[in-house]
Amino acid sequence: MAPVFEVDVIVSNKEGANDPEGQTILRDLVSKSGFEKVKRIRSGKFLSVSVEAEDKQSARRLVTKMCDELRIYNPAAHSVRIEV
Amino acid sequence: MLTTVEKAGLTEDEASSVRRALGREPNDTEWAIIGAEWSEHSSYKSSKALLRRLPTTGKRVLLGPGYDAGAVDVGAGYAVTLHIESHNHPSAVDPYGGAATGIGGVLRDILSVGSSPIALLDVLRFGDPASGHSRWLLRNVVRGIAGYGNCVGVPTVAGDIEFDESFETNCLVDVACVGLVRKGELILSAAERPGDLLVLVGGSTGRDGVGGAAFASKNLSGRSGSERSSVQVPDPFMKKLLIDALAEVLAAGGVRAMKDLGGGGLSTALSEVASKGGTGVDVELARVPLREQDMSAMEAMTSESQERMLLVVEPGATEGVFDVLDKYEVPKAVIGRVTDDGKLTIRWNGRVEASLPANVVAEAPLVPREARRPAYLRRARRAPVKHPDPSRALRALLSSPNIASRRWVYEQYDHEVGVRTAVRPGEADASLLRLPDGAMLAVKADGNSLHSYLDPRRGGSGCVAEACRNVAAVGAEPIAVVDHLQFGDPSDPEVYWTFREAVEGLAEYCRALPVPVVGGKVSFYNEDASTGRAIKPSPVAMVAGLKKGARLVGLSFPEGSQAVFIAGRTKAELGASEYHVRVLKTWAGDVPSPDAASDSSAFAAVRRLIGSGLATAVHDCSKGGFAVALAEMTFAHGVGASVDLSKLPSDALRPSDLLFSESHGRFILATAEPTRTADVLRAAKVPFAKLGRTGGSTIEFTEGAARVASVPVEEAAALWGGAVEETMA
Repeated sequence: MAPVFEVDVIVSNKEGANDPEGQTILRDLVSKSGFEKVKRIRSGKFLSVSVEAEDKQSARRLVTKMCDELRIYNPAAHSVRIEV
Repeated sequence: MLTTVEKAGLTEDEASSVRRALGREPNDTEWAIIGAEWSEHSSYKSSKALLRRLPTTGKRVLLGPGYDAGAVDVGAGYAVTLHIESHNHPSAVDPYGGAATGIGGVLRDILSVGSSPIALLDVLRFGDPASGHSRWLLRNVVRGIAGYGNCVGVPTVAGDIEFDESFETNCLVDVACVGLVRKGELILSAAERPGDLLVLVGGSTGRDGVGGAAFASKNLSGRSGSERSSVQVPDPFMKKLLIDALAEVLAAGGVRAMKDLGGGGLSTALSEVASKGGTGVDVELARVPLREQDMSAMEAMTSESQERMLLVVEPGATEGVFDVLDKYEVPKAVIGRVTDDGKLTIRWNGRVEASLPANVVAEAPLVPREARRPAYLRRARRAPVKHPDPSRALRALLSSPNIASRRWVYEQYDHEVGVRTAVRPGEADASLLRLPDGAMLAVKADGNSLHSYLDPRRGGSGCVAEACRNVAAVGAEPIAVVDHLQFGDPSDPEVYWTFREAVEGLAEYCRALPVPVVGGKVSFYNEDASTGRAIKPSPVAMVAGLKKGARLVGLSFPEGSQAVFIAGRTKAELGASEYHVRVLKTWAGDVPSPDAASDSSAFAAVRRLIGSGLATAVHDCSKGGFAVALAEMTFAHGVGASVDLSKLPSDALRPSDLLFSESHGRFILATAEPTRTADVLRAAKVPFAKLGRTGGSTIEFTEGAARVASVPVEEAAALWGGAVEETMA
């Protein structure tokens, strides 16, 4: 049986794009509660995926393919980070 | 490597006319500013000359085309404002964000004339729902509209959807907004007094949407993958704060003009307030709240970041204005002032980055376009010879995605918030909103891409005729139109011909009814990303109507037996009908041609029948013709009907034509008082007939004693009710 790999998928709005959720957390919660040293917060969506694969590379390839084909994210609006 | 001129989206001719007007070579920032403002999206350079044919005046008109929104007097000291916009290209690459920011954009237009948004409408066009891509677009566009509209607390009350393969990759997402304001409190976008301060209010300015107006003024082919910077992220909560804060700011006074930042960003907003007011502006970009520190002047000027407004404020009033904005925690910055030199002066840390005459920036030269009747219209079309069994055809039409119930869509929208909604989607042909004096505003938006494809002139007149008819069907008088004209590439003479025809059709009908066009929008360059083929011509009209009196009549037959009437004449007009295109697969036949004079009498008669309480149900005949309209009236209460087709006022037609012709100007009415109803219709000189009675559990069509078609109500309701839902499940 092939080993199981834990793959993390992090989807967030593109760098440079607006992130209302992150900004709101920063502005209305963090900054107002005394954490002035926190300068920036970005929000996103996190998926933890367990996948059977031969090795790390093929696990990453499979999850990348899944995210692309099933439109787990929209490449026009989001960036995605996939970590094994 | 693109030159600066090419990057700005300007042609060589346009670039030369800029150099001539300035007497010098503009720098990169100046090219970008001019490029944004001279884009088709902002300048209407291909369409302006034709749009002048639309009638734009009337006794109720307070603001016509050329402002952020049109405005009409609705009595009792109030004005209703109207605007329509599309967000087609952004929605095609990012359906959720694109549709949401489309709503955001149209809300800003309503806000910038000083009015409060009270209702949203949407007109959507997608490819075949059998395609996964179309369903992905549809699902996310609807979520985007719902998400944004519901967050800002403005109900989505009506709309229209069609499916056609020409929209497969270039879907259409048109959003319209209705606002309400006291007549004296309308605000214009003209900065008239030198010395006034320019205040930028709302969200921060980032790289999102840099070059968006230019993006909307190109086709989508093969570039969607790379033009990422054009995607904007919606922030409906910021918009809600803006809506509430602006209402309070305006009430406090001191705001002399207002302009939303949409396509073209600061470039467009600044050049318009200056050129409209005959003034200039002097702006320091370093004061603009930027999201990213390393942005250039060019990017700051053309960014289309969402949720921003430009206020022109009296110098003495800034404190009061800022207090309100602070209370709502809406960011703001004084970015410059109004000058008397007629120039757009843009500085970056004091250094002049651009210095352009405002009128040069705001007035792009018109582009003459060639028009040629498209080759596809010359193909010979054989009339259909074989007609299927009419009952089977009716079943097929009821489950057509263009006719079936839109409940799956509208139940995702909040249509009640704001407590003005008196008639909800699906209950009647138009939605009704309560106005402060007890009168009601009816609103509906329509278009028919199939009709417009086969005969763009009749498609143009037909869309406004249909919207007017829907408004009349709830007892209102049409008082204003806003139109949205969506076509392919205007430099293609065949595309431009369809555009010209549609505008002329629209103008003819509006002049004849008459009803003024108080605003509108043109969207070109809509074509399939992979085939490069233009979308079907898609003129769309939203109509607002004013209804006096409190009687509400829906489209469903009530319980108990009623007489069934038709008003209006049925003609051999099956060209581009759902029956021909979907069932018979033919493009033969004439497209329905509306007749404004006879519509006007029919509308008045229907108003009288509703106002006097004689009509108990009213529904217009449109897609699918008389048969589909009658069937739709039976669903809500499961009350069937039996009607005699041979009584329909018509040219001598075969039964399938009587059932499925899409002739305009027709209403089906139910009444408990047939004699008095007939008197009203006769007095109005409207062709009419009593066709039969409601009751039973089938929808039955006869010719004399012979049965032509019959479908049980329950079966018809299931076909009609389930088609879209099942596809989207």
